[in-house]
Amino acid sequence: MSLKFIPLAALLASFLPLIAIGQDRTYDLYVCAAVNRNYVIGSKITTTSGLHLRQANGQWAHVGINDPSIFAVSFDPRDHNTFYTAALNGALRTVNGGDSWRVTTSWDITEPKDVCVDPHNPDRVYLAHPGGIAVSDDRGMTWTKRERGLPDRGKYTQTIEVDRSRKGHILAGCESGIYLSQNDARSWRKTLVTEETVNDVQQSPHDPDIWAAVTQSAGAYISRNGGRSWTAFDQVPSEAALYNIAFDPTNPGRLAIGSYTYGVLASEDGGATWKPRNEGLPKPHRIWRVGVDPDSGTLLASLYQKALYESSDFGKTWKKAGLEGSAINSFVFLPNSRK
Amino acid sequence: MSLFHLEKFVRILASTTIGALAMAQPSYEGPHPSLEIVEDPMQRRAAYLDRVNEVIEWRAGIVERGDAEKMDMASVSANLLLNQNIEACNARVIELMENPGSGPFWMLPTTCVAFMGRGKLSDEARQAIRRAWKESYQLRGDTENHFAMYYTMLYLMSELYPNEPGTEWYNGKSSEENLEESRDYLIDWMNIATTIGQGEFNPTHYIGEYAIPMIYLQSWAKDPEMRLRGQMFLDFLYAGLAANTLSGVLRGPNARTDDSSVVERWNSLSSFFSWLNFGNCPPTRGFSWGNYYAIVAANYHLPEVIYRIGMDRDQSFTQRDLKRSRHRWRYSDVGKAPIYKTTYMTNDYAVGSYQGGMADPIQSHVWDITWATPDPRGKHPTLFSIHPYSSHKAMQAYFNVRPDTMVKAVAAEGKPSYDVADKLVGCSPYEKVFQHEDTIIALYDIPQGTRFEQVNGFFSKDLEDLEEDESGWIFARGENAYLAYFPMADYRWEAHMAYKRLPSTGNGYQYERVASGSQVLISPGNKNGTIAQAASVSEFADFDAFKSAIKNQSLTFELEPTPQVSLRTFRGARLESRYGSAPQVNGRTIDYSKWKLFEGPYLNAEKGSRILDITHGRLKRTLDFNTVSISDSVLSN
Repeated sequence: MSLKFIPLAALLASFLPLIAIGQDRTYDLYVCAAVNRNYVIGSKITTTSGLHLRQANGQWAHVGINDPSIFAVSFDPRDHNTFYTAALNGALRTVNGGDSWRVTTSWDITEPKDVCVDPHNPDRVYLAHPGGIAVSDDRGMTWTKRERGLPDRGKYTQTIEVDRSRKGHILAGCESGIYLSQNDARSWRKTLVTEETVNDVQQSPHDPDIWAAVTQSAGAYISRNGGRSWTAFDQVPSEAALYNIAFDPTNPGRLAIGSYTYGVLASEDGGATWKPRNEGLPKPHRIWRVGVDPDSGTLLASLYQKALYESSDFGKTWKKAGLEGSAINSFVFLPNSRK
Repeated sequence: MSLFHLEKFVRILASTTIGALAMAQPSYEGPHPSLEIVEDPMQRRAAYLDRVNEVIEWRAGIVERGDAEKMDMASVSANLLLNQNIEACNARVIELMENPGSGPFWMLPTTCVAFMGRGKLSDEARQAIRRAWKESYQLRGDTENHFAMYYTMLYLMSELYPNEPGTEWYNGKSSEENLEESRDYLIDWMNIATTIGQGEFNPTHYIGEYAIPMIYLQSWAKDPEMRLRGQMFLDFLYAGLAANTLSGVLRGPNARTDDSSVVERWNSLSSFFSWLNFGNCPPTRGFSWGNYYAIVAANYHLPEVIYRIGMDRDQSFTQRDLKRSRHRWRYSDVGKAPIYKTTYMTNDYAVGSYQGGMADPIQSHVWDITWATPDPRGKHPTLFSIHPYSSHKAMQAYFNVRPDTMVKAVAAEGKPSYDVADKLVGCSPYEKVFQHEDTIIALYDIPQGTRFEQVNGFFSKDLEDLEEDESGWIFARGENAYLAYFPMADYRWEAHMAYKRLPSTGNGYQYERVASGSQVLISPGNKNGTIAQAASVSEFADFDAFKSAIKNQSLTFELEPTPQVSLRTFRGARLESRYGSAPQVNGRTIDYSKWKLFEGPYLNAEKGSRILDITHGRLKRTLDFNTVSISDSVLSN
């Protein structure tokens, strides 16, 4: 398929190239960015949305389909030209770096929110979607539901992550809590009960036993035993939704939370204390997503429909980093070929 | 009539009426059509084709008229049908395909042009269409009508371009894969509608988003079964339209409507379909999406039994239907909640409702009393109340969105009133409605802290003899209907401020509020309620007699601790309704679980059956979606 979409590294998006780039980067940064204020189904797409790759010169290259609904991306660790996106139409796959795509799901799966390639078995892909959890064992060619242990109602799934250190262990953030599978998603058990959606679950890059999660109305949590039990971060507010949480791969004590209401919340002591880190960000601090660059520890924050911002001191000061008008749904740092 | 014959017919007609092309829209601008029943089937069919032709010629005539508006794909399709301006069509198609749209609202018009352009458009123009379907990624959308359009168009285009690999399609799937997926979806959707009910039921506008795909399926699908399914589902839609219209105007409740149509009941696309099929009301300006329907409308023959349901009623009737809510992804014990819809119809007025609660989070309309008008254009022939509810969490139940942005976003997406206190469109989890014939009891128990702790009642500018009686009843007359409205809590009046859309600034829809002349009764208070009743003018000696009958009813009500009403109506029924409890009629508790898919004098279907019986007098048509068959019969006396 020769799409009119911009192939990987072919065309540069028009965003300002402000992210500071060093010569010794070991990770490529991909973002899933929507640049489409007030887009509704049926209107013409006049902006460039979807997957973007930060170039060596700091500019952003659009990759693949101009789709304002791409929520997440996950790469095959064996071949970075094969990757999957979770988008409005379903789970999409490319095997040639974004030159061509296939919608791999059918009519019965819509609007998946997260996708995760199993690092222990990269032919297997997990999909979090509003109807529950689906798994493909053939690189997205076919999908089956794997929901034993999930409730009939309450299985809306926002996020799914594979434990990189334990084969077969997966954590899913659902409407009714966090669910853990220890057998490749063949069954699930609830390890955290919530009244509303768990928006993000992340594994620490420093200690594989440590996981962190944020929720819509129950605050933030940490697990120190691979997701089997959870303890609340006491200082994190829970009156409004927290959108995501990120570990700093360069500093075990640092975590950041993104929230539309609270802005950026940061901890530098492993979550014992938290402080707002919004000074220097334009008001209101409508944070859509945060991420931390594993090469530099730079904290990234997507300000909803404004721009990407970056901070080299973990949120004490900020500067604009391009992607004007965007809302970034996910940051993915991928080990690059130079590593 | 086959497509060939349709085209021949239209050509002949066009050649004899070319002078009329300059006229804009005779049916829209002219007098209200006659409500006389056309008994002669040939005459009825000819009148139908005349209406079809009016649309086609009007849309095609954009070129001749030199309108500032450029040819759109409806105009291209109409010209192709008429075999005229082919070079202009070629040029315009090529131009339009250079910048394709992004979803079902682009796929539908393009499919129309693709099929109408067979053997007519140039190779270059047809290749431009084909290339767009290869290179332009199409978003499927997130609503039932999006899916119906998306998959019908993908089905048809996959048949039009068979045996092509995934590299030739925007979604990477082959023609055969697209065909199979589309067919599976469409059949599943029809199965749901014919077993547990339609989701976007009784829509004021979205009927077009279903009728157009279905007539395209009927007209263009190669598979005879899918063609027949298209025809059957059109019958299914129009049977519902016929039973829910009075003089062609659709009556509530509605799964989805809008700020304009909910008060100016005629001003919606459903009126186009009433006009086209029954000829009993004016069409709306510009025919809207009806242009795309008209292109192949001659392929559909409205069954006489449906025509008569829409036109020929000699008695009042009650129709009870089972529908379903929009799918709830989360924060609900059920995915598709049952909707119990009641319509009580006379020749003077209609009363309709569902039981309250959430059907669609933004655009539902729960109940109303509407009345017949000699000419509905510009009129607000309706009376109703609502709790103006808005909620991030309710949005999240139905849409897969984060909690903080959608309430504000929908206003910019064409639903400006969603988070406005005086809104008149929408439903609420804190509204419970009970209807018995032409009496409505709507009860509200709104928790403290809910956004907008009030009830809004709509009072039309077209009401006559509006009177606030010291008894607490508000009386009025709407043409040949007497109306009574009892607010159960204190209230004040505000001017109804309609939404007037402004020219686009490229940053979402913009509106200004303009006084319409109607009024809104604002009743603050968490514990609240409305009783509304109607009767025909002919039932009483005069207005005072009606008012006396209403005031002499035995009525008791309480707001604390739970709103409840006990009413013996002037018609003799004893009604008991308590918020949160099943209502009673004459001591018998209403058991909604026993409702059928359709039950009434005209439409009947068992829940889960996939079989709809449509009857009028001795005429009967049965749509059997199990066997995909239609059977007609004339019942014995």
